[in-house]
Amino acid sequence: MDKTWKIQDLGQGLKNSFHAILKGEFLLRLNIGRYFIHIVYAFFLIAMVIWISLMIESTMTKVERNKAILHELEIVHTQKTFDVVKLTRRSSVNEMLQQMGSKVTEPENPATKLK
Amino acid sequence: MEANTGNVKKNRDRIGVILYVVYVFLLIASVVLFGKIVGIQLFFKPDPKIEKALRPESRSRAIEPVRGNIIDCNGRLLAMSCPTYQIAMDCTVMREEFAKDSISGPVREQQWLAKAKELSVELAKVFPDKSADQYWQLISKGRKSGKKYLRLGKPVDRNLYNRIVQFPLFREGRYRGGFIAEQQNIRIYPYGKLARRTIGFVRNNRSDVGNTHVGLEGKFDYILHGHEGKEWLKVTDYGRVLDNDSTKTRPEDGKDIRTTLNIDYQDIAWRSLYNEIKDEDALEGACLVLMETSTGAIRAMVNLYRDGDSPDFEEVSNLAIGRSIEPGSVFKTVTLMQVLSDGHIKSLEQTIPTNHGNIKGVKGVPQDVHIADHERDHHINSISVLDGFKISSNYVFGTLAVSNYSKKPMRFIENIHSYKLSEAFDFDLAGLAAPTIPSPKDKNRYWSLSDLAVMGYGYGVRETPLHILTFYNAIANKGKMMKPYLVEDIELNGVVKERRGPALMSTICSRAVADTITRALKAVTEEGTARRLKDARCAVAGKTGTSFGTYADGKYKDDLGRRKYQGTFVGFFPAEDPKYSVICTVFSKPTSRSFQGGGIPAKAIKNLVGGIYSIDPCFQPTLTAAK
Repeated sequence: MDKTWKIQDLGQGLKNSFHAILKGEFLLRLNIGRYFIHIVYAFFLIAMVIWISLMIESTMTKVERNKAILHELEIVHTQKTFDVVKLTRRSSVNEMLQQMGSKVTEPENPATKLK
Repeated sequence: MEANTGNVKKNRDRIGVILYVVYVFLLIASVVLFGKIVGIQLFFKPDPKIEKALRPESRSRAIEPVRGNIIDCNGRLLAMSCPTYQIAMDCTVMREEFAKDSISGPVREQQWLAKAKELSVELAKVFPDKSADQYWQLISKGRKSGKKYLRLGKPVDRNLYNRIVQFPLFREGRYRGGFIAEQQNIRIYPYGKLARRTIGFVRNNRSDVGNTHVGLEGKFDYILHGHEGKEWLKVTDYGRVLDNDSTKTRPEDGKDIRTTLNIDYQDIAWRSLYNEIKDEDALEGACLVLMETSTGAIRAMVNLYRDGDSPDFEEVSNLAIGRSIEPGSVFKTVTLMQVLSDGHIKSLEQTIPTNHGNIKGVKGVPQDVHIADHERDHHINSISVLDGFKISSNYVFGTLAVSNYSKKPMRFIENIHSYKLSEAFDFDLAGLAAPTIPSPKDKNRYWSLSDLAVMGYGYGVRETPLHILTFYNAIANKGKMMKPYLVEDIELNGVVKERRGPALMSTICSRAVADTITRALKAVTEEGTARRLKDARCAVAGKTGTSFGTYADGKYKDDLGRRKYQGTFVGFFPAEDPKYSVICTVFSKPTSRSFQGGGIPAKAIKNLVGGIYSIDPCFQPTLTAAK
């Protein structure tokens, strides 16, 4: 037989719920125990999300630190490249040879190719 | 039994009541807590400072792309990016702490100042613009007056930065030693002044100089610069880290530009020219361009200019492309090509009457004194075209232009157009000046026969050194005019992304005409005005030219009779099988001295040919080993 719902049924439901809460029986009446494992699982997932999030933050910190180290190394590499390339200028090589008292100078004739 | 039952009931009620009270307490607490959460979420307005500290916003950070390098044709670095450091000092560090500590504070303050004195000595060694005493005064006064930022010296490179970090006081860091270093990326050029104007630069927009994009750096900034990236950062207990919930746009690094320049040849060219002009106070500037004949690739481009009262020449203006001048006698080759191509003369030995050096039917053109000398020396009243070319006779080439083109001057002009001597063609550097070629069709100026006569020997027209070189390179290349270019290709991490390379502009004359002109140009270096090049390391063919710059009133002399000389030598080598074309032009200040094309320019090119001859593979002889 179909039950016809009325406004006072809602009021009665709220009243019963309130009494159940006061008696500490609200969850028992809803038979929440059936879903206990799901609730625990949900808590586990939430904990995992928080833990992974913290791990990600920690990893990202390492990434930033390593980025800074790489940046420093790039600067050192660029500076060394610059210093080395600067020395390859023809006039600089000639000057250095002269300063060292070397007899090596610019070639006067083209090199001969051997076949 | 009843008693027992009554006891249990009593006990249960007591425990039940206690649990019930606890339950009610927790229930009330949860209701309060829930109400508080609702209140905080909907109505609570926290202190903005606390809110900001507890809920830091993600901040976006622009990721600068790495600017591309500029390299020479052999892959050697010409321009690269590198950080520099501006060193500064916070003179106030630890001052308050020392002041608060009445027991050991004064002693520690004295120790700090003693270290600052040692620092001053070290600073004076690396920044010699001030003495140790001056640095000490600056630091001690700065400490007294509370100066938090004292700039020290000029920006330094990484090597010097590493040294400065170890100086007394500075080695204690930012908060104890007051060490401040601001890093900024700048462009560095390992070869210093070599090709600086050609490589160029990009100034920031705050610069008060109008021209912010110069040279290859400026013209190819859109390729070298790349595109900025963007990432979001959040603050955590570990510091500022990448926000992994946000999007990230990776930067796109700039591409590299491989130029046609050969830095060894550039160095030789620079030395060849600089050594010739460095002691010439009357010179304003000079340029030298070396071009590969078969491709039009520019292997060296030297531009030396003395800015104002500057004592030395610097690469501050690209004279080779930016200054169009009356080319003078080097333009006679243009006239020669015309009369040969149009069949007006059949050979270089063809003669014309000397007429004492006065061009027939033309008034207002000065007499050619070379012809009078020729008549006197040879006792004849005719001169061959070749001899006229060797002595660079204005009369001969004025006469050739007038006698063959006076009835059809537009043919003469159209020929110049077809030689690409009238257009500022697309070039790899901005600022190529447009040539000026007068025309009978120009309604704004009066055209007369004298215009045609002076054009015949290189006056009345204006050309840049690069235009003249491109024309001579076409003669060396048997009539094929190659477009001059500076960018070989565009690369990313060594992989070619866009190949540019040689391009044929047009064929301007037949092979026979080119060979005939080459013979004339060889005669100039062997017996003519460029005899200085006769004993060059390999045979050079070329032409000298000397013209005068005009003053504001349009005259070639000032009131003191001083002229502004423009001496040019243009040619190619080896003359028999040209590999390179070259032009050198010197520009004088108003002077009473003479700067001819056969002087400094010819000497500079002789030096250049000697330098290249000894190292260029095309000059290397082959020795076949016996089997």
